[in-house]
Amino acid sequence: MGIIKATNLEKHYPSPDNSAETFAAVNKINLSIRQKEIFGLLGPNGAGKTTTLEMLEGLTSIDKGNVFINEIDVTKQPYEVKKIIGVQLQFNEYFDRLNLSELLILFASLYATSIDPESLLAKVNLEDKIKALPNDLSGGQKQRFSIACALVNNPKILFLDEPTTGLDPQAKRNLWNLAKSLNEEGMTIVLTTHNMEEAEYLCDRIAIMDQGSIIAQDTPQQLILDYAPEPPEIPMQGNIEDVFLALTGHGLRD
Amino acid sequence: MHLAKTFIKIYYRDRQSLAFSLLFPLIFTLIFLFSGGEPDPTEIGLVNQSENDLSLKFVELVKENKAFAISEGDEVELRGQLIAGDLTALIIVPKDFDKSNTSRLRLLLDASQVRQVDAIKDSFDSMLLSIERELRGTQPLFTLSLEDVKARPQRYIDFLLPGILAYMLMNLCIAGSGYNLVEYRRRGILKRMFVTPIKPKDFIISIVLARMFIVLIQLSVILALAIGLLKINIIGGLYSLFGVIVLGAIIFLCIGFFLGSFAKTQEAIRPIALLFTLPQLILSGVFFPISSLPALIQPFAQALPLSVIASSMRDIANDGIPLFTLNFNFIGILAWIFISFFVATKFFNWQKVAS
Repeated sequence: MGIIKATNLEKHYPSPDNSAETFAAVNKINLSIRQKEIFGLLGPNGAGKTTTLEMLEGLTSIDKGNVFINEIDVTKQPYEVKKIIGVQLQFNEYFDRLNLSELLILFASLYATSIDPESLLAKVNLEDKIKALPNDLSGGQKQRFSIACALVNNPKILFLDEPTTGLDPQAKRNLWNLAKSLNEEGMTIVLTTHNMEEAEYLCDRIAIMDQGSIIAQDTPQQLILDYAPEPPEIPMQGNIEDVFLALTGHGLRD
Repeated sequence: MHLAKTFIKIYYRDRQSLAFSLLFPLIFTLIFLFSGGEPDPTEIGLVNQSENDLSLKFVELVKENKAFAISEGDEVELRGQLIAGDLTALIIVPKDFDKSNTSRLRLLLDASQVRQVDAIKDSFDSMLLSIERELRGTQPLFTLSLEDVKARPQRYIDFLLPGILAYMLMNLCIAGSGYNLVEYRRRGILKRMFVTPIKPKDFIISIVLARMFIVLIQLSVILALAIGLLKINIIGGLYSLFGVIVLGAIIFLCIGFFLGSFAKTQEAIRPIALLFTLPQLILSGVFFPISSLPALIQPFAQALPLSVIASSMRDIANDGIPLFTLNFNFIGILAWIFISFFVATKFFNWQKVAS
């Protein structure tokens, strides 16, 4: 039984060329995401990944179809769903003049719960930034902080929207490790990405989206067996990123 | 409400805008302080062409009148000053000025200053009358002694201050909620907030509470200055006055939210807010009474939110009418609270702008 079940999801937006017409940003999508798996929505920009994710989260209204999260109907009880999910948005900005600790306490208060900001920040390797302002953080630190914000309610499901876009390889690897360890603690993770390597390394199962539809859905290994062309006879040892990391080291740069 | 407390912290840390929001009222207070709140005497030129005892006595008596500042000189020079606008009027005492006949004083005016002509002519007539009595030594048949039925001093500043406070309350509140809302939405902060299970109503209430707290502090500073430096009398007590300020803050903060729901950018919210505040500045009796407006729009003007708040504050400050009097203003305030909270929550949108 999936913890997330989406049936025939549709979302239409007015066409940018002709306002009388609409186009389907998301077209009849079916998803069943199992408890404790890392599920990836893979696709090029504009494929409908973020729209799909936001419909699952109850942030964008659903035109047709339905979504059940932990057997709660997102359309009927959005507030109940929001209580058990953690969301990292693609773009994150916070109130000015509040430091990380104050922001975490603020977000926790919106769930009517209290947290220890220090241990939460330690979880994402930001314990020494407890009094820093979000704008003083580097890109990788900002992403890790936004994950910390998504964890304040100890969610059952964590949604990550392009968590590693714009990060350097060190920060990216670090974030993958964070996602892995959260997953090992029992958290279901749904993420979007257009990074193939990320999908392959991190996800238990992936769905490939294009033009609002899911065109393939399986484990990365099975998808490779099904669709990938024959590998070259002498396989390459690693890739250029491994070279980059070997030369510059694995330590975080921010 | 932790959220409300956090907003207070955010606003309090924004010292720069707090300081600037106090600047205008401070300047305003200082201007009134230095001018003493009294009108300046009217500048009048005087040409004495007769130089006899009677005319000299006349000139002396004219100079005693405190409403006019008299400068003597020859006609050509003073005419020049009148045309240049340095003088408001010019009196010419003719050569044949004596007791035997009715002397014709000439009063030269700049007709482009029409607004003042009637007032000056009236005060001249009464001045001439009293000078005549003095010169002829006759007892006046009537005297007019002004008795204010409210039996206490009332200056223009006493009328003005409650209106100014109300106007500032409106501006601070609309800037406080409307501008914030647009900024938070544009930066995606609102979206991040509504990922959590917070309801729009609770969010609005939090910001209203936090802003109200800040606005109360700001207005307290101004009120303290007004009472301390300008010696303003608040007859009805400060608690009632603050009661109206609190209710007014709710109205204008909610209206700020409503306006913020229609503006896409910070650039757009300014003209939208002005569209709401400027007509009220003119129509709501802040600077001059509503009764001086055309009769047709008076009922409309009286029902504006700024009008009910300003006149309610004036009632308390000047007449000592308690807040919870079931009168037009109080009912108006309650109605506006209901309307503004309704439209604020109804049109509130954290994602995109309404229509």
